[in-house]
Amino acid sequence: MTAECHISSLVVHSRPERVASIIEGLGLIDGAEVHGGADTGKLIVTLETATESQVIERINAIQLLDGVLAATLVFHHFEPVQERE
Amino acid sequence: MDLTRRTLLKTQAAAAAAAAANVTLPAGAQNILTGEDLHLQWSKAPCRFCGTGCGVMVGVKDGKVVATHGDMQAEVNRGLNCVKGYFLSKIMYGNDRLTQPLMRMKNGQFAKDGDFQPVSWDQAFDEMARQFKRVLKEKGPEAVGMFGSGQWTIWEGYAASKLMRAGFRTNNLDPNARHCMASAAVTFIRTFGMDEPMGCYDDFENADAFVLWGSNMAEMHPILWTRVTDRRLSHPHVRIATLSTYEHRTTDLSDMALIFKPNSDLAIMNYIANYIIQIGAVNREFVEKHCNFRLANTDIGYGLRPENVLEQRAQHANDAQVSSPSSFEDYAKLMSQYTVEKASELSGIPKERLETLARLYADPKVKVMSLWTMGFNQHVRGVWANHMVYNLHLLTGKIAEPGNSPFSLTGQPSACGTAREVGTFSHRLPADMVVNNPEHRKHAEEIWKLPHGVLPEKIGYHAVQQDRMLKDGKLNAYWIMCNNNLQTAPNTNNETYPGYRNPANFVVVSDAYPTVTAMAADLILPAAMWVEKEGAYGNAERRTHFWHQLVNAPGDARSDLWQLMEFSKRFTTDEVWPAAILDANQGHKGKTLFEVLFGNGEVNKFPLTGIDPAYENREATAFGFYVQKGLFEEYASFGRGHGHDLAPFDTYHEVRGLRWPVVNGQETRWRYREGYDPYVEKGAGLQFYGNPDKKANIMGAPYEPPAESPDAEYDLWLVTGRVLEHWHSGSMTLRVPELYKAFPGAVLFMHPDDAARRHLRRGQEVRVVSRRGEIRSRVETRGRNRVPQGLVFVPFFDASQLINKVTLDATDPISKQTDFKKCAVKVFAASVADAGDVQ
Repeated sequence: MTAECHISSLVVHSRPERVASIIEGLGLIDGAEVHGGADTGKLIVTLETATESQVIERINAIQLLDGVLAATLVFHHFEPVQERE
Repeated sequence: MDLTRRTLLKTQAAAAAAAAANVTLPAGAQNILTGEDLHLQWSKAPCRFCGTGCGVMVGVKDGKVVATHGDMQAEVNRGLNCVKGYFLSKIMYGNDRLTQPLMRMKNGQFAKDGDFQPVSWDQAFDEMARQFKRVLKEKGPEAVGMFGSGQWTIWEGYAASKLMRAGFRTNNLDPNARHCMASAAVTFIRTFGMDEPMGCYDDFENADAFVLWGSNMAEMHPILWTRVTDRRLSHPHVRIATLSTYEHRTTDLSDMALIFKPNSDLAIMNYIANYIIQIGAVNREFVEKHCNFRLANTDIGYGLRPENVLEQRAQHANDAQVSSPSSFEDYAKLMSQYTVEKASELSGIPKERLETLARLYADPKVKVMSLWTMGFNQHVRGVWANHMVYNLHLLTGKIAEPGNSPFSLTGQPSACGTAREVGTFSHRLPADMVVNNPEHRKHAEEIWKLPHGVLPEKIGYHAVQQDRMLKDGKLNAYWIMCNNNLQTAPNTNNETYPGYRNPANFVVVSDAYPTVTAMAADLILPAAMWVEKEGAYGNAERRTHFWHQLVNAPGDARSDLWQLMEFSKRFTTDEVWPAAILDANQGHKGKTLFEVLFGNGEVNKFPLTGIDPAYENREATAFGFYVQKGLFEEYASFGRGHGHDLAPFDTYHEVRGLRWPVVNGQETRWRYREGYDPYVEKGAGLQFYGNPDKKANIMGAPYEPPAESPDAEYDLWLVTGRVLEHWHSGSMTLRVPELYKAFPGAVLFMHPDDAARRHLRRGQEVRVVSRRGEIRSRVETRGRNRVPQGLVFVPFFDASQLINKVTLDATDPISKQTDFKKCAVKVFAASVADAGDVQ
C-alpha cells in the first residue's frame, strides 16, 4: 500500500473562557495546527495525518477536550506521499 | 508530497474552514489556491443520510465518486459536514455491493427453502409477477403490500404510491418513517390541520433559548448543533436546556441538563403548562384569537395485539384518536393537577430546576425554540407529547415567527419529502389528503386520469401491523424497498422474522447491500443508490432539493424507480381491476399498469431532450421520456394553490433547495404569519389556515404510564438509539472502513454501580434479556453515553447484536409508531465462568 498524506480542516466551536486551554490541548494532538479564530471561539484547525482513520481519531480526541462544543469537518484532501517526491 | 505543497494545502484547508465559519484569518493564511486542477467534475447533491438536508459537493473522476465536501452555497450547512457526510463518497463502494438479482432456488426453480442464486431481471420479475398474481387472485388486494422508505426519492415514493394504490388497489403501503416520525406527522395534522413545521432552520439564529426534548443533537444532527452552538457563543444570553433519560454529548454541552425518568416528560410539560397558567403568563389575546381547546380520550392502550391484556383493559384502545371540544377552564383544571411537586416526583428532577425550565417558556421576552426527535416520537404517548409541546408554544403565542419555534427534527433524508408530502403512509395521499375521504380519492383519480372508484378507501396496514399480518398469513406478497426492517422493527424475532419466512408468503427486498432483511427474503433485487440516479429529497424544514445522476450503478443494480415502473409492465388492468370499473371505462381495458399509471399523457409528456446533457439518466433512457420530471410535475399539481406549492422542476436543479410553499418564485420561511406566508389573508396577522376555522388546537391530555416498566425480575429500563458514526441500521456506514473502525460493535452502556452490583466488569460479555428475547453484548461503563442507575442504552446499528429481538412492539395507539425507548430487561454475565472472574 502506498503511503498517503491527508490534509483536512475543522471548525472547533469552543466555550470562550476555555479557548486558551483548548488551544493548548490541540497543541498536544499529533498533526493538529491552529490557524486562527480564537477571538470568536471558532477555532480554525488543520490536521495532517497518514490515514483517514486518524482523521476520525483526532476529531474524537478534539471533541473530548474540555470546553469544546463541536468539532466539524470542512475540507479533506489526500494524495500519495510519493507523487511529489 | 513536498513540504511547500503541504503548507499550501493546509492554507487552502484552513481558508475553507474559515469561510465556512465566517472567521477572518490572519492575512497570510487567506489565499485560496486555484492552480491545482484535480480533474474532478463537481456537482451538488443533498447528503444521503439524515433529515438535516446538508448540501454536499460531489467530485467524480472516471465514473466514480472520489470526493465530497460541504457545499459552501448550501444554506443548511454553509460548507460544514459531519463525519458521516464526509465519508459519503465511500457508501457506494462496499465490497459486498449487490449487483444482480438473487432468488432462492432448488433444481432451477424458485423454492422458499432454496439457496440464493443469481438470476436475470427477467427471471426475477417473472417469478415475482407470478407470485403477486397468485396472491391477488386467491386473496385479493388486501393480501399484497409494500414497506417503503423515507430514503426513497420523491418520485420513487410517488411511483410506489401509484402502483400500490391505483395499480394493485391496496393501501398496504407504509414507509419505515412510521418507526421514525409518525407521531410528529399525526400531531401536526391534529393541531394545525397541515403537516410539517411552521418555522425553519433560520430560527436557530433568532432564538434566545433552545429546549431539546429527547434529542441528542450533538451526535445525531451535528450540523444543526453547530448552528445552535454558534448562536450560543455569539450571544451570551442564549441558553440551551436538554432533557433526556441519560447523559450524552449534548447534555455535556448544554447550560441545563435535566435527566428524567422514562415517560415522565408528559408530566414535565403539563407542569410547565400549569406554571404558565398559574403565574398569568398565558397570552390571552393570542389564545382567544387563534386557538381552540380540546381534551383527548384517555386510557388508550399501547397498540399491542388486541388480545393483549393491556389492550383488553384499556377503555379507549379502539378510539384513541378521538378528542372532544373543551374550554380554557377545563384545560386549566386538568393541568392544575401537575404541580411542581408531582412533576418532580415523577421525573426525579429537583423542583428548582423544573422552575428554571418553565420560566424560559413563560417569560414573554425569551424566544424559545423547542427541538425533538425520537425521544418524543418513539413514545407510547408520542402524539400527546407532541401536542404538549405545541400547547406550551400556543399558550404563550411563541410560534410561527423568527426564533419562536416548536420544531420537529427528522431522521431520514426524505421523511418529509417522500413519506409525508408524497403520502406513502397507509392512510395518506399527496398534499395531506387521506384515502378514506371520498373527495380526496376523487381528486387523486382525476389528476392520475384514472376511472372513478379505482382507489381503495380502506386504510392499509401500518408498519407494525404489516409484520403481524405477514406472520398471521394475511399479507402474502410483500415488497420491501430501501430499508432494513428486520433489524429495525420491534420484537423482531417474534413478530417480524416469522412473517418473512412464513411459507405462505413471497417476500422481495430491494437493497444495495445484503442486509439481514435481504438475507431473510425470497428474492433480492439489487438497487442503485444516491447519485447513481437522479433524485429529490425533502428535509425537515420543508426544503425540496434535487440532484443529478452522477455515476452509474454497478452491474445490474437499478434504481427503485426503474424497478417499480418496469414491474408495472407485467400486469394488465384486467388482471387487477374489477370488471365493473373496466366495463364502465372501456378505454382502460387490456392496458398494462405501466400504460395507465405512467403512460397517462402527464408522466410521459416531457421528452429526453429536456435532460441536462452533462448528466446521464438511466431511467429516462430506459423508458424513453424524462421520467423524473413527468412524475414530479404530476405530483406537484396536487399541492399548487393549496399551500403546498412547489417550484417548477427545472428550478430545483439550479438552486440549493427551496422551502415550500414556493409562491411566485419565493420560498416561505415562516408559515401562518402575515408578511412571511402569502397564504395568510391581508390584515389577519396570523392564521393557522390548515384548519377550516384557521385556529390551532390546544389538546389537553394527562400523564399515563408506559406499556412496560422495570420490576423485580426485569429490573432495568432499556433505551435504544443511534451513535454518531452509524446511521440507522448501519447498512451503509458499516461499509465505510473508517466509520466501522471508529465504532465497530454495539455495546451496552451501564452505570458503574449497576455493573458492580451485578459483578460485571467493563468489556465483559453479558446477556440482555427481556420477555421477548435476548442478545449478547459487552458492558461499557464509560464513554460518551452516561446512563443513570436503573437504565441501560444499546445502539441498534449492529446486525450481530439485534437489540430489536429484545424490544417491545408497543406503539402509540394514535400514530402507530413504536416506542423503542422504554421496555424492561435484565442483564447478567454471559457465562458462569465470566461471573466468577470478578476482581
